[in-house]
Amino acid sequence: MKLIGKLALCLLSASLLTSAAWAQTPAPKNGKTYRIAYIARAQGDSFAAWLADAVVKEVKKYPDTQVTVFDGQSKNELIASHIENAVTSKYDLILLQPLDSEAQVAPVKEAVKAGVKVVTVNNRVNDASIPAVDADPIQQAEVNAKLAVKQVPQNAKVVVLMGPAGNMHSDKRREGWKKFFFDQRKDVKIVGEQIANWNKDEGMRLMEDWIQTHGKIDAIVSMNDNMAAGALEAVKGSGAKSYPLTYGVDGTAEACLKIKAGEMTSTSLQSAFSLAELSVKMSHDLLTGKKVETPQFITAELITKENADKFIKMHKDLGNIK
Amino acid sequence: MAQRFSDMFLAFMSKLTSKYSIYLILLAMLVICSLLSPAFFSAKNLSNISRQISITTIISFGMTMLIIAGLIDLAAGSVMALAGILSVAIYKATGSLVIAMVTGIVIGIACNLVSGFVVTRFKTPPFIATLAMMTSARGAALLYTNGQNIYQLDQFVIFGQGDIFGIPTPVIVMVIISLVTWYLLNNTRFGRHLYAIGGNEDAARASGIKVNQTKMTAYAISGAFVGLAGVLFMSRVNAGLPNAGIGFEFDAMTASIIGGTSFSGGVGTAMGTLVGAFIMGFLNNIMNLLGIQSYLQQIIKGGIIVIAVAYDIMSKNKKTASQLGNIEERGKEA
Amino acid sequence: MVDVPLLELRGIEKLFPGVKALSEMSFAVQAGSVHVLCGENGAGKSTLCKIINGIYQPDRGEILINGKPVVLRDPLEARSHKIAMIFQELNFIPEFTVEQNLFLGNEPVNKFGKIDWAAMRRQTVALLEQEGLPYRPDTKLKDLSVSDIQMLEIIKAISYQANILIMDEPTSAISTKEVELLFRKIAQLKSQGVGIVYISHKMDEIFRIADEISVLRDGRLIDTRPASELDIETVIKLMVGRKMESVFPEKKPQAPGPVLLDVQKLSQGKTFRDVSFQLRQGEIVGFAGLMGAGRTEVVRALFGLDEISSGTISIKGQPVTIRNVQDSIEHGVAMLSEDRKRYGIIPVRDVKENMSLSSLERVMGRFGIDHREERKRDTEMSRRLNVKTPSLETLISSLSGGNQQKIVLAKWLLRTPDILLLDEPTRGIDVGAKFEIYKLITELASEGKAVLMISSEMEELIGVCDRIYVMSKGRISGELQRKDFSQENIMKLALIG
Repeated sequence: MKLIGKLALCLLSASLLTSAAWAQTPAPKNGKTYRIAYIARAQGDSFAAWLADAVVKEVKKYPDTQVTVFDGQSKNELIASHIENAVTSKYDLILLQPLDSEAQVAPVKEAVKAGVKVVTVNNRVNDASIPAVDADPIQQAEVNAKLAVKQVPQNAKVVVLMGPAGNMHSDKRREGWKKFFFDQRKDVKIVGEQIANWNKDEGMRLMEDWIQTHGKIDAIVSMNDNMAAGALEAVKGSGAKSYPLTYGVDGTAEACLKIKAGEMTSTSLQSAFSLAELSVKMSHDLLTGKKVETPQFITAELITKENADKFIKMHKDLGNIK
Repeated sequence: MAQRFSDMFLAFMSKLTSKYSIYLILLAMLVICSLLSPAFFSAKNLSNISRQISITTIISFGMTMLIIAGLIDLAAGSVMALAGILSVAIYKATGSLVIAMVTGIVIGIACNLVSGFVVTRFKTPPFIATLAMMTSARGAALLYTNGQNIYQLDQFVIFGQGDIFGIPTPVIVMVIISLVTWYLLNNTRFGRHLYAIGGNEDAARASGIKVNQTKMTAYAISGAFVGLAGVLFMSRVNAGLPNAGIGFEFDAMTASIIGGTSFSGGVGTAMGTLVGAFIMGFLNNIMNLLGIQSYLQQIIKGGIIVIAVAYDIMSKNKKTASQLGNIEERGKEA
Repeated sequence: MVDVPLLELRGIEKLFPGVKALSEMSFAVQAGSVHVLCGENGAGKSTLCKIINGIYQPDRGEILINGKPVVLRDPLEARSHKIAMIFQELNFIPEFTVEQNLFLGNEPVNKFGKIDWAAMRRQTVALLEQEGLPYRPDTKLKDLSVSDIQMLEIIKAISYQANILIMDEPTSAISTKEVELLFRKIAQLKSQGVGIVYISHKMDEIFRIADEISVLRDGRLIDTRPASELDIETVIKLMVGRKMESVFPEKKPQAPGPVLLDVQKLSQGKTFRDVSFQLRQGEIVGFAGLMGAGRTEVVRALFGLDEISSGTISIKGQPVTIRNVQDSIEHGVAMLSEDRKRYGIIPVRDVKENMSLSSLERVMGRFGIDHREERKRDTEMSRRLNVKTPSLETLISSLSGGNQQKIVLAKWLLRTPDILLLDEPTRGIDVGAKFEIYKLITELASEGKAVLMISSEMEELIGVCDRIYVMSKGRISGELQRKDFSQENIMKLALIG
């Protein structure tokens, strides 16, 4: 019943919502209120959705600040118009999760020129003067790679799963893996390396084919958890007795559970909470006239079987695991 | 006498290559792929390929029926995701596999009936109506899940990961759906009416066919296939993915078109679509087995699609020409 | 003195895969004369015309214009030699206006290459005025009737100021009045020294305008003679290679049965008003009239294709409501449309499927369509109608017009209807097949069906019908009994009002 109600609500709101804005905190009763426009890369992307939630929660800690969320729907032109609209609507600050580092430079500069402060989070625009909070994608790979250097056996057969072509995060994570793993383990052989577009089903299909060609694979290096989980489904389907060493990035609920169950080896969490915490603080500091240091990086946390419980609890609190 | 025999042989060969051109392409691919990679021609790999293509192929059969009737469904991928997500959600809420499966199918039918209604009632071009459904269904899937994947599907995975006598369940479902499609197209009035509507809608109407009703039925059936595909997909990947199936409608169309379905309507077969799906499946598989680089794979795929379709059309033209010849000769005898 | 012919063909040969369409074809057209080509469908007339117009290239032989050999690689090159062709099939873009269609591919442009719309409008108005046609230049083609479009096709060809004009059955879709207009035009062009190649099946036309007649059969030229040395009988003999017994089938006079269809005061907006008539069992009733008199519209409304605004329809004594095609089929009505391509056939499907389309429920077995039963039934029907097809699996579009028409007729006969509405059943069909259709219609009537037949060929109506209603400007202007049948009587009624 609850489910049906939720579904009905979904359909109803889908038909009613004409604006992209969907979350608003009430304004405090007295004093100056700072208005922040949070422009998300795409609400359809699970990490972006989590980050938006985290930002909304974080802003609630500042009674003099309120935030409105806009959905960029993975479209550069839509993000640009959200920025323009935020300027027109006289927001005090735009907190932007850029989709494309280059495409957003021009609209951001226009906003700054119009006197609106801009902070980027989770990705940067190609302009060092814009204050930024980011995770370091190379470091996200590094924490996993350092573990792998010790774990992966001699002359191992390894496969690599990549995100979409030209994606900055995918490329940087791959760079981290090269620097901290492949360059140091010349004995390891990469028997397959393909793009699976962050998708679980594509990771699964590729792994099925690799198992056909190469038999047992010793390790899976994936640029995100979704693709790693897909590859593990393929391993399960092949009837193999044990799982290969499997490394991902993101720290999704599914990955945490798989690590806990011993199916996956490790992942690193790019914590939306940390990003939200740092970026909202930086925004508030800018609004209240304090000096800020930029860019600031959050550190990626390595998740292994030992500490998986902590993160599973976090996901439970977030409602990702019921 | 010798002349006569060689004529007969030539006629036989030309009939073979024109009517069965698509099967010959499949056969050629099978041989070439086997030569290229020793891992290709094995029971395990062929079963793998069948499983990999099963979900888009199930969508393809519905798409084939629609294209035959001069319709299209651009929303197949999105509706598949929505149907799959809601099926997963219902499963998690009720724990019943049967209710979950039925939900998926019903959602697929419901979405497509809306598209079909817009097409038949308001005379909206199918391209536009289903484009709208594509966006709406995706939005609904994302809204329902808040963009998050759903995990821990427990028993739900048996639809997509299980097998019966060693044959993967999705493959069995694909075979059943192909038989259903074949039966509908060949042995029912509904099937004949689809061909007629796609071939010449005015003439179909003037022949007493209930055009709108037939179109709605076609959308409903393809919706059922899409919903079923959604259940199988989520089950196979062991997760409820709101972003699943982006671009699946185009994979489904590709298989259909390679299998000889004509975008101008009125032409297409279930067997052709199955063969088209296998041609694409072989191609994807062999390129991965050979470790061909991702970007290069896309170019090769595009090239093969053009070659296959061009060859098919050319051999069909030859067939029409030789038929014309036959008639002229007949005319002379009479 | 012997003139150099305007156009001469020498030893033309054309092969298509598996068939020799033309062989040893030689003939000449003199300036200021009309050279008629006759022959049954498939005799090679259209192929020959397409060679003259540059659409096909001959495999052997040469084409001479004014005594000089030329090569015509495409229609544009033919146009540059002042050759123009009017096609049997209409070649217009329905969404374009009259003027856009007239100047398609030949648009007047200014020096910057921009279309000069004003000039186009001026020239169109002048052309329409000159030819006495009442259309506006900005009417879209889809809003014109088939005959209007055919007339446009003719003036379009004339507008190229061609020296050699090829006309492939130009009168198959136009009314008697417009035929007169066309013939006057032809006479005028002749006097200007234009050479005309004219294809037609209609004997009366042929003898009215021909200077020379060439008869083709099976891709060969049988004979070329001055028209004055030939008569209808001889031409038909040459065409079919055998003597026709008689053009119209013998009909046993029989007393008409009870009224099957009774139409009272049927009206539809401005297209037709107060149309009342009756159709009896075993009767063939003709509907005569000029193009646009509303005959087709009445029949379409009766069949449920269009709505009526008032009036009553009774079938077998019972008043009925006909909202759609299914309703009329339920009541045992069948219709053959004048536009076979649009309302008759499914071109991409085979003979069997086309034939079975409306009567599949009669061959349903336990597991859906009973293919064996269907084949048996369709084979019988095609034998009965003498359909010439290599097999039941042959694409219908690869058959001749006559055979296509028989298949559409077969589709309806398989439903065993009581009332047949036939709109121009012999349009675009060659003489031999026409005779077969007449025979069929007569047979069906003697089996007890009621037949309503629309035709623009008065001879045909006079030859086949028991009674004729004449329509004029949306009303029935008169009814003729067999003893009063004559072309004059029909014309008089058709021109009333």
